[in-house]
Amino acid sequence: MKDYVLKRLLLVIPTMFGITLVTFLVIQLAPGSPVESMMPADQGIRSDQVTKDIVERTRKLYGLDRPVHERYFVWLRRTVTLDFGNSYRDHRPVIEKIAERLPVTLALNVLSIFLVYLVAIPLGAWSAVRQRSPAERAATFVLFLLYSIPSFWMAVVLIYFFGGGYFWDVFPIYGVHSRGWEELSFAGQAADFLWHLVLPVFCLAYAGLASLSRFQKGSLLEVLREDYITAARAKGLSRGRVLFKHALRNSLIPIVTIVASILPAMIGGSVIIETIFSIPGIGRLGFESVLSRDYPVIMAVATISAFLTLAGILLSDIAYAVVDPRIGFGGRS
Amino acid sequence: MKKFPRLFASGLLVLCAALAPAGCAEAQCQDRNDNASFSAPGGPDAAPPGGTLIRELGAEPATLNPVTATDVYEGIVNGGIYETLSRRNNRTLEFEPLLARSWEISKDRLSYVFHLRKDVKWHDGRPFTADDVVFSYNAIKDPGVAAAHLQSYYKDVRSYKKIDSHTVRCEYSKPYFLAFEFCSGIPIVAKHVFEKGDFNKNPAGRKPVGTGPYVFESWETGREITVRKNPGYWGRPAGLEKIVYSVILDPTVKLQLMRKQELDFASLLPLQWSRQTCDASFAGKFRRAAYTTPGYSYIGWNSKKPYFSDRRVRRAMTHLVDRETILKKILLGLGETVTTTFFVNSPEYPGDVEPYPYDPKKARALLDEAGWKDTDGDGTRDKDGVEFRFEFLLPSGSQTGEKISTILKEELSRSGIEMTIRKIEWAVFIQNVNERRFDAVTLGWSLGVETDPYQLWHSSQAAAGSNFTGFENPRADALIERAREEFSRPERVKMYREFSRILREEQPYTFLFARKSTVAVHRRFSGVALYPLGFDTLEWSVPKALRRYAR
Repeated sequence: MKDYVLKRLLLVIPTMFGITLVTFLVIQLAPGSPVESMMPADQGIRSDQVTKDIVERTRKLYGLDRPVHERYFVWLRRTVTLDFGNSYRDHRPVIEKIAERLPVTLALNVLSIFLVYLVAIPLGAWSAVRQRSPAERAATFVLFLLYSIPSFWMAVVLIYFFGGGYFWDVFPIYGVHSRGWEELSFAGQAADFLWHLVLPVFCLAYAGLASLSRFQKGSLLEVLREDYITAARAKGLSRGRVLFKHALRNSLIPIVTIVASILPAMIGGSVIIETIFSIPGIGRLGFESVLSRDYPVIMAVATISAFLTLAGILLSDIAYAVVDPRIGFGGRS
Repeated sequence: MKKFPRLFASGLLVLCAALAPAGCAEAQCQDRNDNASFSAPGGPDAAPPGGTLIRELGAEPATLNPVTATDVYEGIVNGGIYETLSRRNNRTLEFEPLLARSWEISKDRLSYVFHLRKDVKWHDGRPFTADDVVFSYNAIKDPGVAAAHLQSYYKDVRSYKKIDSHTVRCEYSKPYFLAFEFCSGIPIVAKHVFEKGDFNKNPAGRKPVGTGPYVFESWETGREITVRKNPGYWGRPAGLEKIVYSVILDPTVKLQLMRKQELDFASLLPLQWSRQTCDASFAGKFRRAAYTTPGYSYIGWNSKKPYFSDRRVRRAMTHLVDRETILKKILLGLGETVTTTFFVNSPEYPGDVEPYPYDPKKARALLDEAGWKDTDGDGTRDKDGVEFRFEFLLPSGSQTGEKISTILKEELSRSGIEMTIRKIEWAVFIQNVNERRFDAVTLGWSLGVETDPYQLWHSSQAAAGSNFTGFENPRADALIERAREEFSRPERVKMYREFSRILREEQPYTFLFARKSTVAVHRRFSGVALYPLGFDTLEWSVPKALRRYAR
């Protein structure tokens, strides 16, 4: 096991190298340049010869006059020491900009993922047990309906009805805390924060609910068809015991693999939801950076997500082996 | 990102249609405004100073460093924090003293001497002197400072020097009618704050130190920036105690925040203006104002392309754009059709010139006359073996551009011209235009109070500058050059009117519209005057009984 983990860890290095190289090339070779994007809307085009020189000088200021491969190695050398450089837009350290936005994105995503699992697993199990009953069919219908509703539309509808101004003034619709938040007690602050997250978390979660509960249902149905379940039933075990002790636990194994996709999603953020609810998260930062060709920020966000994806895959492989004793690590003959 | 809002808005409309609740009754009120209710310019109705304003910011500024900032949002926030040597009077738009108490202009119009006020202090208590002005100018010129966008304005300044502790001189290398505006308009930062370390990374970019009537208080990333009244301000103190600039990206949310009275001053989309703010409940809380901002939109025809090299063809294109209907249907009447490159409410604009009417018959005749006929019978006009097929480039997110191009495509196909529409992202769009890789584009220019057409229309700017349609006309060149050295505005107006006549003949652009800004202001503010270019929040205040927020 130790050897396996070590081998996998070592594999991360060339993989990371490859991912960052490709990302770097793609964004640097994409048309458009940070210097021109930095000019105000109409000035980007208002450029005569003198301005051309100024643009050239600015390119030099950011080191953009050097060839792409050279720039990549400069970037790489800095990045291995965890220095992501400074943003082109405001010259602040990239790491500071990310750190500033990470907590709220994390809170938002951890909460919504938690919610999805909390509801999807029992719901999936229930659907498997009550398969083809009218109630289950109705639930499936609702889930698919939710799954097909785009989140931005859902967000606007929720804001319209529950955000005040027209109908019920229940939930706040702007940002993650109220004005004058600083003066509240800790409990008050926490309550206010969670209250602000209700709508965005719901919008982030409802689509995942459908897919994950389907997944859980399928997995449980498969387990229920296994011989050992029949054996357990034949032994005369109670229905609940068969279901919870033998079937459900085994059906959770495939769900574990999904852990891999969760980790990067946690810091990924969502441009649309963050934009609608005025939440300053990583999603918006990344999106705005792409539009303004803020290479250092794009690279930092991409590198961190790539790293988390790899870490997630590794973790899920390990977790897989831990929960399922039938799975071992390579090398066994 | 700009593409989403329309989707949201249409999502809402669908919802309204389905449920028809009272809140979105389809009353229309695009012609209604409260412009007359704002106190006459210059005479703000008296209310004791105080109160809080929560104002919309359409996006977050990248930095509040006035030298390196490139977005308009920085200007909105820093407007109350930093000051320049002079400013334009809100009403007359003439220059009046600010940090400079007076100035002298040499006879040859090359040298501008500014006498600075001696009673001005930076927000940290240090006195403001000539060193700050010269330091700021040097920063703009410094290649290590990310101020490329400003450097191009100051390329004709020969020197900017200190004469004594409170006098500076700006020297131009050639006479230029905008020289005073540039010399007196440089952003001024405190030398003692910026002199140490990397200018670009200076912490003052996040917490500015200025001389103005408002002192920076806090900046919560992605959410809001707060400024508070400067108790030690040297000039007339501001009315409001506190201004909160709230970053709101989604227009639906913005409108709803206004209805909840959590936002006091914001712009409205045309649809919001004409349909969603017509009810009595909104009118009871807000006053609405519409005013024309300096700028215009246009379609530019690349004159280096075979089909657009002939001015008859360009004129035909203008005759094929039904500007009146587009204005009415798409912009909901919020603007006016323009005919030239000057601000529609300035004396430079020839008010007596009618735009070319929508006239497909005339257009076809012009196209035939120019030799573009369908000789091979494939339904598309051609000439010398070139088919009249072109690409219409527009930046993605330009909603009106998208609608206009769809209408135009339909119209052109009826006249035997094939147009394809291509939407590309802004950064790529700029690159295409700069490299002249386009047939036709739609864009807009924002203008100053007075604008020099040199950058856009002089032939020297055709190869690499902003004159990207390749407009070259010796008579126009001569007029533009003479006007640059003409210091009497009425004389310049004469030249510019002549120049506008040439533009009308040549039609390098199909000029479209000067848009109206549509905004709403909460009713509790007093002293709110509507000036030719909009509002000045420095004069606003809230009567004691109506204040909504504690300090």
